[in-house]
Amino acid sequence: MSYLTVTNATKRFGPTFMALDGVSVSIERGEFFTLLGPSGCGKTTLLRAIAGFNDLTSGAIVLDGADLRTLPPHQRDIGMVFQDYAVFPHLSVFDNVGFGLKPRKVPAAELKIRVTEALDTVRLGAMAERLPAAMSGGQQQRIGLARAMVIKPRLLLMDEPLSNLDAKLRIELREEIRDIQKQVDIATIYVTHDQEEALAISDRICVMNAGKIEQVGTPQEIYGNPQTRFVAEFVGSINVFRPGSALDAMLAKLGHAPGGAATWTARPEHLALVEPDGQDSGAATLPGTVTKFTYLGREAHVQVDTPAGLLVVQIANPGMAATRHTGDAVAVVVPPSAPMAFGPDGARVKR
Amino acid sequence: MIVMPRFNFWTVIMILTWVMLFVLLFVPVGSVLVSSLYDQGGNFTLANYTKFLAESRFHQAFANTLVVGFGGLFGALLLGSIMAFCVSRFVIRGGKFVSLLAILALVSPPFIGAYSWIVLFGAGGVVRGFLRDLGISMPPIYGVGGILIVFSLKFYPYVYLMVSGALSNVNRSLEEAAEGLGLTPWQRTMRISFPMVFPALTAGGLLALIHAIADFGTPRLLGRGYNVLATEAFTLYAAEVGSNMSMATTISVVLIIVSMIFVLLQRYMSRRNVYHGNMINKPIRIQLKGWRNVLAHFAVYFIGLCGALPVIISVIYSFRKTSGPVFQDGFALQSYERILFGLGDVVRNSLSFSVAAVALIVVVGTVVGVLVARRTSLNTALLDGAFMVPYVMPGIVIGIAFIAAFNTGPIVLTGTAAIIILSIFIRRLPYTVRTTATSLRQLSPSMEEAAISLGYSPFQAFLRITVPLIMPGIIAGGMLSFVTAINELSSSLVLYVGSTMTMPVRIYLLILDGDFGVAAALSTILLLLSGSAVYIAFRFMGRNEQALL
Repeated sequence: MSYLTVTNATKRFGPTFMALDGVSVSIERGEFFTLLGPSGCGKTTLLRAIAGFNDLTSGAIVLDGADLRTLPPHQRDIGMVFQDYAVFPHLSVFDNVGFGLKPRKVPAAELKIRVTEALDTVRLGAMAERLPAAMSGGQQQRIGLARAMVIKPRLLLMDEPLSNLDAKLRIELREEIRDIQKQVDIATIYVTHDQEEALAISDRICVMNAGKIEQVGTPQEIYGNPQTRFVAEFVGSINVFRPGSALDAMLAKLGHAPGGAATWTARPEHLALVEPDGQDSGAATLPGTVTKFTYLGREAHVQVDTPAGLLVVQIANPGMAATRHTGDAVAVVVPPSAPMAFGPDGARVKR
Repeated sequence: MIVMPRFNFWTVIMILTWVMLFVLLFVPVGSVLVSSLYDQGGNFTLANYTKFLAESRFHQAFANTLVVGFGGLFGALLLGSIMAFCVSRFVIRGGKFVSLLAILALVSPPFIGAYSWIVLFGAGGVVRGFLRDLGISMPPIYGVGGILIVFSLKFYPYVYLMVSGALSNVNRSLEEAAEGLGLTPWQRTMRISFPMVFPALTAGGLLALIHAIADFGTPRLLGRGYNVLATEAFTLYAAEVGSNMSMATTISVVLIIVSMIFVLLQRYMSRRNVYHGNMINKPIRIQLKGWRNVLAHFAVYFIGLCGALPVIISVIYSFRKTSGPVFQDGFALQSYERILFGLGDVVRNSLSFSVAAVALIVVVGTVVGVLVARRTSLNTALLDGAFMVPYVMPGIVIGIAFIAAFNTGPIVLTGTAAIIILSIFIRRLPYTVRTTATSLRQLSPSMEEAAISLGYSPFQAFLRITVPLIMPGIIAGGMLSFVTAINELSSSLVLYVGSTMTMPVRIYLLILDGDFGVAAALSTILLLLSGSAVYIAFRFMGRNEQALL
C-alpha cells in the first residue's frame, strides 16, 4: 500500500463537465510527485480535493491507511503552498510562519526554535520581524514554503508556486524547493504547467489532460519514452511527418513497419542536418530547403521544407558556421531511433 | 468556495437578511404604494394619481423638481469639472487645501448653506447691505436662482472628487499617442480625455442630481413659494389641518420613480464606457504661467471658498454676541452656553441615535457583505439588487414610508428613537454591504485556505485572517456612515417627536424661528463631529476623498 492513494477520483462541474474523470495515482513516502498538464486539465482540482477545499463527486483518497475525504480540511494536517503566496499581510514574517503552530499547541519556546529553523532553511532568518507586504515575490513564496513546512505536515501540496515569478528566480527557487523537500523528507505533490520545471524537480511526473491521466513516470520516462502523442507534444516538442511516399520510403530505409501507426513523429534534437548530397549510413535522409533559422544562443532551430513535411531540426551549440539562410539546400538526417509512432487514438505504437 | 459542512450559519443569515429587508424596505415602500392607491375610506382608487396629473400645483412642483435637479446637475458639473481639471492637470498651490474645502462643503450640515447665503445675500443680507451702501443694488437670493446657486456649490464636490480621480488615472501614454498622431491639445482633451472620464462625470452628476431632487431644506428655506416635490410631500404630510397622507405618499411614489429613472439612465449611459487604465504612466501636472496661472488659481479658490463659505459663516456667527435671537456687535460664547443649558438632550439624541445606527450598520452590513461576496447564487444577486433600492429613496420618502408602515399594524414604532435609528440604518446599509463585499472580493481566497490548511477551522480562519484585513475599511466606512447619520435631516424631520429631536431638526427649527446664533453653534458642533469622523476614517484607510461619495 502506497503512502497516498487516490482511486477513481471523479469531479463533475455542472451536468456535463468532467474536471476529473476516474483518476488514480499512488504516491510513496518522501516522494516528489508532480501533476503536469495544460490549464483546465484537472491538476489543480485534484490537488484541492486532496487538500479538502473541493470534495470529489466520487472516488477515494487514502493517506497512510486512513480515509481523507471524511476529514474537514483543517484536520487533514496537509501543508499547502499557493500560487499567489497567500502570505498574511497583517502578520510579521515570524508570525506568518508560526501561524500553523498555534492551533497545534506548540509551547512558545519550541515554537521560536522551529520557526527560526524554518526561516533559516528558506534563508529568511534576517527578516523575521519584517512585514511581508513590501517583500519580493520570491521572498513571499519562501515565507509560504516555510509556513507550510514548519507544521511538519503529512503531505505538502504546491499549487503552481513559481508561476508568478520571473524566469531566473523561478529556476533558482525550484532548485531550493527540491533541496528543501529532500532535506525535510515530506511527500510532496507539485502542480505545474511548465514541463521544464516538472522535469527538473520531480521524482515522478503525472501528465494529465482533460481530466484523465496520460502517463505516470520518471522524468526520463516521460520525456524519453512518451506513451501518448499528447505527452510527446506537451513535454518537449515534436515534428509530425506528412504521410506519403517520402515518409514510406524513409520508414522502409530505417526498417520500421508502419503497422497500426497513424502518425509518425520525431523530436527536433534527434534529427541532424547535412549538406544536400550528404549520406549517413543506417539513417534516412530527406532533402529540403531551409525556410527559417532561429538562433537561441545555446541552440538553434532550423526549419526545413522536405517531402515529408516541414521539419524543425535542433542544433546544439551553434557556432558561426552553423548559420543557415532561407533557401539553402540541405538534407535532414533521421536516425533509426528517432521516429516515434502513435495510433489513431493517440497511444504510442511500439516498433 | 469553502464548503462548511453541517454549519448552516449562512442560510440563517440569508433568511434573516430577507426578513430585515422585508420589514424595513419592502413593507415601507409597499405601504407607500398602497397608501397612495386608497382613499381615506379605504377604497381602491387612482384618484390621487389623477389629482397629481390634474392639479397645476403638482405640475408646478414636478417641473420645479426637474428644474432644480438638472440646474443643480449642470451647476455641479460645471464647477466640479473646472475644479477637477485645474487641480489634476495644473500645478495649483495648496491643492490639498482645495480638496479640504471640497470635503468641508460635502460634510457640512444640510440647508445650513441655504441659511448662510440668506445671511449674506438675503433681504437684509450683509453683503447686499454693504453693496447697497456702495450704490450697487442686487436682487435678494430667494427663489429658484438661489436654490440653484446653493445646489451647485453644495453638490459640486461629487463631480469634483469623481472626475479628479478619473482624470489622474488617464494613462499619459494615451494622450502622448494622440499627440504623436497630430491632435491639438484641445482635440486631445475632447477626443481622448473626455471619453475616458465620461463615466466619472455621469456618476458624479447623478449623485448631484439625486441629492438635488431629494433635498428638502434648501428649497424650503430659499424657495419662498418655489415648491418642489420633496417640500410638497412634507407640507401635505405635516399640515396641522388637513394632513393628506395618501397624497403625500403619491408624491413619494413619483419621487422614487423619478430617482430610479435617473439611476437607470446613468447606468445605461456609462455601461459601455468603463475603462481600466493601468497606472504606469500617470499624467503630469503642467505649471501654468502668467494670466493663465492666475485664472486657474482664481477659479479653483473661488469655487472652493464659495462652497465652504456657509461653513465659515456659521462658525463665525456661532461666536457672535447675541441678545435673544438678535446679533450684537462683538463675540461671545452665549450661543454655546444656550446649547449647554437648553439643548443638551438634542445633542445627546443625535449622538446616541447615530452611534446606534452606525453600530447596526457596521455589524449587519459586514455580515451581509460577507454573504453577498462569498455566497454567489441567484439569491445573493437578488439581494445585491434589493440593496440598490434605498439609494434612490429621498430621505423625506423614507420618513413618510416608515410612518405609513409603522404607525399602525403589527409593529408600531412611531414616536420612538428606534424608528429614526432604523430609517438611517436602512438608507446607509447598502453602502457598507457594497464596500465590504468589494473589499472581500479583492482578498485572495487562498489567504483563508492557507489558514485552514494550517489547522484553523473555516470560522477561525475568517476571524483571524479576513476580519483583521478588512477591519480598517469597515471602521473607515463606519465613520463615514456616522457623518451621514448625524447630518440626516429630512427623514428625521418626518419621524421625530419632541423627545427624539436631533440636532439637524433643531437647527432647522431654529432657523425657521430666526434664532441663527444657536443654529450656527449647533451646526459648528455638528461640523466638528463630522470632521473628526472623517479624520478618523482617513487615518484608517489613507486619505481617500472618493470614499465620501
